[in-house]
Amino acid sequence: MTTVAPPSSPSPSASPSPDAGTSTTGAVGRPSVGSILGRVPRAVWPLVAFLVLFAIGGLIRPNLVTVESLIGTATFAIILAIASFGQTIAVIQAGIDLSVPNTIGLSALAFLALVGPLGPLGAFVAALAAGAVIGFFNGAVIAKLGLTPIVTTIAMNGLLFGVILLAFNFSELTVTPDFVIAITSAKLSVLGISVPAVLPLGLALMVVLQLVLSFTGWGRSLFVVGAAAETARLAGLPVDRIRITGYMLSGALAAFAGIVIVGYYQQASATMGASYLLSSVAAVVVGGASIFGGRGSVVGTVGGALVLAQVATLVTVLNLGSNIQQLIYGAIILVVISLYGRRRAA
Amino acid sequence: MTAISPPSTPRTPSATSASSAPPPPPRRRGWNSTGITRLRREGAIAPIAAFVVFFVVYVIINPELLTRFQLQTASNLVVPLALVALGQLVVVLVGGIDISIGAIMSLCNVVFATQLLTLPVPVAILLAVLVGLGCGLFNGFLVAYAGLPAIAVTLASAFIFGSLAREVLDRPGGGVTKEIYLATSGELLPFVPVALVWLAVIAVGLWLLLQRTALGRHIYGVGSNMESVRAAGINARLTKLLAFGLAGVLTSFGAMMLASSTVTGDPRSGDPYLLSSIAAVALAGAAFTGGRGSIIGTILAACTLGLIGNLLFFAGVNSYWQYVISALIIVAVVGLPVVWRKVAFRVKGIRS
Repeated sequence: MTTVAPPSSPSPSASPSPDAGTSTTGAVGRPSVGSILGRVPRAVWPLVAFLVLFAIGGLIRPNLVTVESLIGTATFAIILAIASFGQTIAVIQAGIDLSVPNTIGLSALAFLALVGPLGPLGAFVAALAAGAVIGFFNGAVIAKLGLTPIVTTIAMNGLLFGVILLAFNFSELTVTPDFVIAITSAKLSVLGISVPAVLPLGLALMVVLQLVLSFTGWGRSLFVVGAAAETARLAGLPVDRIRITGYMLSGALAAFAGIVIVGYYQQASATMGASYLLSSVAAVVVGGASIFGGRGSVVGTVGGALVLAQVATLVTVLNLGSNIQQLIYGAIILVVISLYGRRRAA
Repeated sequence: MTAISPPSTPRTPSATSASSAPPPPPRRRGWNSTGITRLRREGAIAPIAAFVVFFVVYVIINPELLTRFQLQTASNLVVPLALVALGQLVVVLVGGIDISIGAIMSLCNVVFATQLLTLPVPVAILLAVLVGLGCGLFNGFLVAYAGLPAIAVTLASAFIFGSLAREVLDRPGGGVTKEIYLATSGELLPFVPVALVWLAVIAVGLWLLLQRTALGRHIYGVGSNMESVRAAGINARLTKLLAFGLAGVLTSFGAMMLASSTVTGDPRSGDPYLLSSIAAVALAGAAFTGGRGSIIGTILAACTLGLIGNLLFFAGVNSYWQYVISALIIVAVVGLPVVWRKVAFRVKGIRS
């Protein structure tokens, strides 16, 4: 692992050696799907890139290297990462979930609306169930009808926007129940440092999801389905069922993200998910997942989100304006995919 | 003419491709030249039928559509979407997808609107087209020559072009004049909205390019069977590059029509067109694996999707239903043929 030089992804002028290193690892790691070692470095690189960016920030503005600054960036990152976990699951199985934005919006609004009649816990469960149902329909149409994931999830996104507008009519709900605040924006004291509760929550979710992906039969078969669906079918895997459950998990995670976002920002609106359409895919791609499926990790997604969040912090500190931030996001994605996004020899 | 192979030469029907085309028929050379066969092969029958039904319902509910004012408003509404959808179609034909198409549209829109402040109109038009071409070639180069996945490349360039658009103009504004509005979105003759005339000119030009030139054949060919195209000695990479460039140019036309009909430049104007252009191409029956898709189907699909909101307004229904209905139309038109084929296959399988 240490022999492979980490690619300095933020610098556009990547030297050829990390490039060569990446491609060899990819080649070695690909056949041994079961081997965790083959994938671990990939999830580590975004974290390395984040540390490099953090160090650059410290060189430019020494007062940036503080625990508060780190926690601020990490909080922003973990919210983006939670919104991208579902996308990660979808991308691993060679799909994509463009219905994430309105799943977030619908679950957030439905949660707030249902807190009254069902109580906080009932509303929480109902919102997650709504996400899972959305995912079930996505997965069923993709697996059983064979429509492309892009078309299916775009149609679902439009459908959900209609449902949101019909049910909530641009109303903004702002009353957030206490227990959601307790798990998101409330300050916890960890080792004497005050952190928002969403940070440990997101990290715990990451660990659980990574364990599921890496060590359960279902998680492993998700990768196999993403890498070679036909082979998986011939090998006797219930491909359709894995696909559908994968999208169900993806939908439930997007719904969870909606609740977390409501808890942290304490407001919900019909278009609250819009910014997560491209940035959730961006976090997944920067996190080292293959857009063709079969590769990716939620740890990498957190790393990708950290990179994007650190860029946002730097841009804010240097007063460059949010346009430059988007420009740098684009450049980072280009660098990342040119390092390891190449299509397998077709 | 007959010597040239049809645009989408018999390709193995894959389980994932959504098509209304029957399993590849034995090649009947005599039929290849007729339009119906081509439309069927390109999957255009379903969107055309959907549009006809939609149009009839529309006219029954709201006969006023056929009045001059409403016809013009409706065409100004759908023409930008139709042009962007044609751009998306060209990319989809070579087996790609363009996530950045909304950002390209925003960028061309603000370039056109701001340049009108200082430059003569033809120069502003030329600049906007060149910007569209440049954006398309940027994507195309990375996809064709660097071998990167189109979806990831255009995701990155969506961020880049979008930020450039806001760099050019950070809030709605620009110098679109009343004369430009009249030239692109007014009424040329009674009952002839000029926007439709421009759309027809561009569509016919694109049709001639795709159906009657070597480049067009290559675009269809690259999407349907990359390997055979390479074996035939066609420069597949150059074809892909040109397809992305062509899509950029078509998008710039859509951006200019939008800027002119709204009489303003807006750095976020292209955003809604990303998802709706993909939806229109999907509704048109194009295969996202490439090689199949029709121009007329795409235009009519864009008209259907663009006018659903209007129809609901006149029918007195809450227009928020438009999102639900367009989603259901897409799934129905794209999914029904697949279900039909599966059922037919099963019935046949039982018989034999």
